[in-house]
Amino acid sequence: MADVVNVGVNLEAFSHAINGIQALRSSVSRVFDFLKDGMKNRENLEGREKLFLTEFQDNLQAVNRDLNELERLSGLVGRPSESHPLHNSGLLSLDPVQDKTPLYSQLLQAYKWSNKLQYHAGLASSLLNQQSLKRSANQMGASAKRRPKVQPSTLVLPPQYVDDVISRIGRMFPDMTIELFRPNGNSAVLLVTLGKVLKAIVVMRSLFIDRTVVRGFSENIYNEDGKLDIWTKSQYQVFQKVTDHATTALLHYQLPQMPDVVVRSFMTWLRSYIKLFQSPCQRCGHFLQDGLPPTWRDFRTLEAFHDTCRM
Amino acid sequence: MGVTCVCQVPVAEGKSVQQTVDLLHKKLDQLGAVKQGSFCVDCETYHATANVGGQQSKLLYVMHNTETPLSCFALFEGGPCLKADTNFDILMVKLKSHFQNAKGYKVECRGSRYRYCDFLIKVGTVTMSSSARGISVEVEYCPCVVPGDCWNLMKEFMQSFLSSNVPELPSVFATKPEGLFAPADAIDTMTQYLEVFNKLRKLQIPGSNVR
Ligand SMILES: [Zn+2]
Repeated sequence: MADVVNVGVNLEAFSHAINGIQALRSSVSRVFDFLKDGMKNRENLEGREKLFLTEFQDNLQAVNRDLNELERLSGLVGRPSESHPLHNSGLLSLDPVQDKTPLYSQLLQAYKWSNKLQYHAGLASSLLNQQSLKRSANQMGASAKRRPKVQPSTLVLPPQYVDDVISRIGRMFPDMTIELFRPNGNSAVLLVTLGKVLKAIVVMRSLFIDRTVVRGFSENIYNEDGKLDIWTKSQYQVFQKVTDHATTALLHYQLPQMPDVVVRSFMTWLRSYIKLFQSPCQRCGHFLQDGLPPTWRDFRTLEAFHDTCRM
Repeated sequence: MGVTCVCQVPVAEGKSVQQTVDLLHKKLDQLGAVKQGSFCVDCETYHATANVGGQQSKLLYVMHNTETPLSCFALFEGGPCLKADTNFDILMVKLKSHFQNAKGYKVECRGSRYRYCDFLIKVGTVTMSSSARGISVEVEYCPCVVPGDCWNLMKEFMQSFLSSNVPELPSVFATKPEGLFAPADAIDTMTQYLEVFNKLRKLQIPGSNVR
């Protein structure tokens, strides 16, 4: 018994407090019962109102009294132990039906995992940060000093800025037209037309590319209701493959500090598909393999390879 | 609609038309092409009865293709061509006094349709007055719209089952700026079929009397 007190849980105060809660609940429901019954069953009008008001007041005061009592008792109960690393969830270990609901052991397991994850993510993040600093020092030189090291979240760039970056990229490539749409709020959707070869729909979130779909030059890009169709995949295997590779490219070109550079690199890479049907594979020298032209473009050299011929 | 090439394939040495067609089917099967139904292209020949302004009368070809079942094509020899609804056939009957149907000249090309990746292949037997005269092969590369872009690629594909009988770039494309295959313009395909038909008409097949 002494042990229990030591943990800081006053059992007697607990049972009082529970009684207090019950009292509060019944007085509150009495108030509402009374209001529900209204002013009926009284002799004359004035008497009725007066009587109703006093009774209502009495009821409210009873609620107030019970509430105060409960507050006083809750002070006596004391705080549950906070020494447990899992706080209140630690009380789950007191559950006697351990075998049926192994919640507590599962919880511990999950806790360990998330701890480990956090630790590894921290290590990875510090490694990656070193890398990005090295790169930006090489690329930006003096301008690196003017730029704040960590930009405020690049997810909330003003639409005007995004428009500017996109139109600047569009002017870089004469054989590529980029149209910008905003069908749903702030996020931009780009329609990239590359020569007479393909059309790519690029869904942006701020300046980050979210997903992309590549279709043939003659394929539909609008739904029946005239909206850009950002979901349907191409009916041609060659463009389904190119879509897969473009998605890979999105993962490859990553530089969280400078999203505009990423968009530019991606567009440069995408532009190499202008010769999709004209370039033979740089490895095997053939045009076709399993009926498909070389659909892979090297991320660095932009050379054409069949999917299975790339290194 | 992609880039389409129609060519005539000679009958193999010592084989009949049907045997050569079977051989082509076998090669396509081995390649992994999947058979998807059949097709038919037909062509009626008309000549103008009136000789306008002393010009030599031109032939008019009226063609149908099961690939575009609701359309009818009319091609003047070396001249303009048009694509119309199938009602056009009835119009031709009404124009009997101006254009006369050359009865013995009806040409039909029937065969199987194959799909291989993004390619559509049609191997057809060309019949004139109920005798098999030759073999046509149509290859369409669906994802591309510029013949000049994908010609080498198509040639490589055709080599894989036609070996040495691969044709040159069809002349219909050579004359076009950029060689752009106008989208949904099936007339280029029909022009190529007509060329094949006319070539076969002139050709005397040894042993064609065997039927
Ligand atoms: Zn290759």
